[in-house]
Amino acid sequence: MTSIAPQRFSRLGIFGVVLAMVGLAIIPFVTSTTGLRQASQIIISVLAVLGVNVATGYGGMISLGHGVFIGVGAFATGYYVDGLGLPWLLAIPLGAATAALSGALVGLPALRIKGIHLALVTLGLAIVFQPLSKRFPKFTGGVSGKNIKAEFVAPSWWPSDTRMATAVYRYLFCIVIVGLAMWATWNLVNSRFGRSMRAVRDNDTSAAVYGVDLISARLQTFAVSAGLAGLCGALQIVLVPFVSQEIYTPQQSLVIYATAVIGGLGTIWGSVLGVVARTVVGAVGKAAAGADGLGPIGEFFDLLDQPAFVFGVGLILLTFMFPRGLAGIKRPKRTTG
Amino acid sequence: MDLVLLLQRIFDALFNSAIYSSLALALVIIFRSTGLLNFAQGEMATFTAYIAFVFLSGPQPRLTGGGLAGLVPGVPFPIPLAIIGAVICGMAGGAVTERALIRPLGRAPDLALVNITIGILLATNSLMAQWWGTGPRMFPAVFPSGAGQNFTILGARLRYSTIGVWAVLLTVLVLLVLLLRHTRTGLAFRAVSISRSSAELVGVRVGPTLMYGWALASGFGALAACLSANSVLLEPNMMLRVLVYAFAAATLGGLDSPKGALVGGLIIGLSQTLIPAYVPFIGFELSVLPALIAMVAILLVRPEGLYGTKRIERV
Repeated sequence: MTSIAPQRFSRLGIFGVVLAMVGLAIIPFVTSTTGLRQASQIIISVLAVLGVNVATGYGGMISLGHGVFIGVGAFATGYYVDGLGLPWLLAIPLGAATAALSGALVGLPALRIKGIHLALVTLGLAIVFQPLSKRFPKFTGGVSGKNIKAEFVAPSWWPSDTRMATAVYRYLFCIVIVGLAMWATWNLVNSRFGRSMRAVRDNDTSAAVYGVDLISARLQTFAVSAGLAGLCGALQIVLVPFVSQEIYTPQQSLVIYATAVIGGLGTIWGSVLGVVARTVVGAVGKAAAGADGLGPIGEFFDLLDQPAFVFGVGLILLTFMFPRGLAGIKRPKRTTG
Repeated sequence: MDLVLLLQRIFDALFNSAIYSSLALALVIIFRSTGLLNFAQGEMATFTAYIAFVFLSGPQPRLTGGGLAGLVPGVPFPIPLAIIGAVICGMAGGAVTERALIRPLGRAPDLALVNITIGILLATNSLMAQWWGTGPRMFPAVFPSGAGQNFTILGARLRYSTIGVWAVLLTVLVLLVLLLRHTRTGLAFRAVSISRSSAELVGVRVGPTLMYGWALASGFGALAACLSANSVLLEPNMMLRVLVYAFAAATLGGLDSPKGALVGGLIIGLSQTLIPAYVPFIGFELSVLPALIAMVAILLVRPEGLYGTKRIERV
């Protein structure tokens, strides 16, 4: 049973937030522009994972295809800044809104298709997305992708316009947007709408009896969830002004799903934990794969460099040991009276 | 409309139809008994195709997967033996998967089952990429499929390989029906499929029975992968798209109906070839789109498909 009561900050939570903020503040001083860009990319990936969390953790709709919404967000934002010449600060929310709209469209079948069948449909969507986006080269650049000519640069009041200063600006911009999105999601899931969302997840029939409009609850949940992923896509091209269907593979969608589950569904912090775990796994794996001279065992170590492998195995292990994900290891089960 | 061309396209489609039917059967066998959609079915099948590849090519240096072949006496095998070996390995793998990963979960919610199958999918996929590389590998044709190796019917060419694949599929199907109708295990399997708790009450050992089900399903998957590895080229993602077709086929036929899987595979195979041929926008690569749309439409309008059992939800 998951609690319907709003989640509050625990002491551990506040400690974690402070620690994260200190860590985020240190990063720009110790790394290069490339490192900063990679850090930003990791930070924005929280949004996509959060999107899966909203749909699956709070809304009870399994989505294996969130890579699609990242893609829609990126392609749309790219088109708005380049094709339409809109300013970035308008194009980014519009891109996210476009993804949200596409999410609502995908949510339409979710009104009748539930559970494992919905998972199947979203997986199908993830598989069809790459060939489909090749058909719209105007937005996606076709097979090889396309550069976004408009660049996201710091405004005139920013003290410097060196490459490093721009990278720092983009980094901070991403942090602010991700922070705002997390705050908004936090409020949303603890609002009246969030409660009805969870009621629909736990038992849609009784939710309907209590007066929840199932159709709008499901559609809005999917729209919000896709919008978050779309925002991630929009920020992707803020960081790297290039769009291509190549990175939106089905495996990527599945890894995002795995990250959400491993981090812990149904809590905002779970998504952050998932991304942290993925980053740690990636770093450890790289180090392990670099270790030479281990003979045939070394080839097994190389597997650790495949985040998809580690996360696939992790997904299985966690389902058995900690079904509530990393975020659920520590926290005792809370029930409402 | 050119009728010879149409006939030719239908003949060409029949090959894929057999593959989709076979994989759809694997999905149906598992769904029928466990109520679980096995998203990892495609990757498990691809893995067995790589096993067949190892049996065929013998030990290779620098390949962990290929190196293992050195332990098997008598490699390289001839093709039929390699495929039979791979199917047996696949069946064993399916049984082990059920015993180790599915049974301990008991009656878990959908989410847990999805997580397990997605976990297997991701892990197997990257394992294959690591061991055998992501590049496509040549897999020999099982049946003669070169130029001129075909019958000509009304001006259209029907390849020997198409006939061969269907012969294999139908033979295995007859064996499956015999197994289900005339053995105690088959009886137990049917009982578990109809009602798990009632079967349990009359003393059927549900666990082992489901394990046989998984073994059978994986066998069908392995067969599908080995037979198609020549035409789609052996690579880690080779069954991903095929899986969508197979799911569409299974959904169309009714997710719990073996007959439906066969008919669904036939229809989806035909539409996969015919729709791109007559609708230029779809093209070859996007031919997975109609299958997905068909799947969604069926789930929306008639979730039980053509031959499936209607599910009535108790409130």
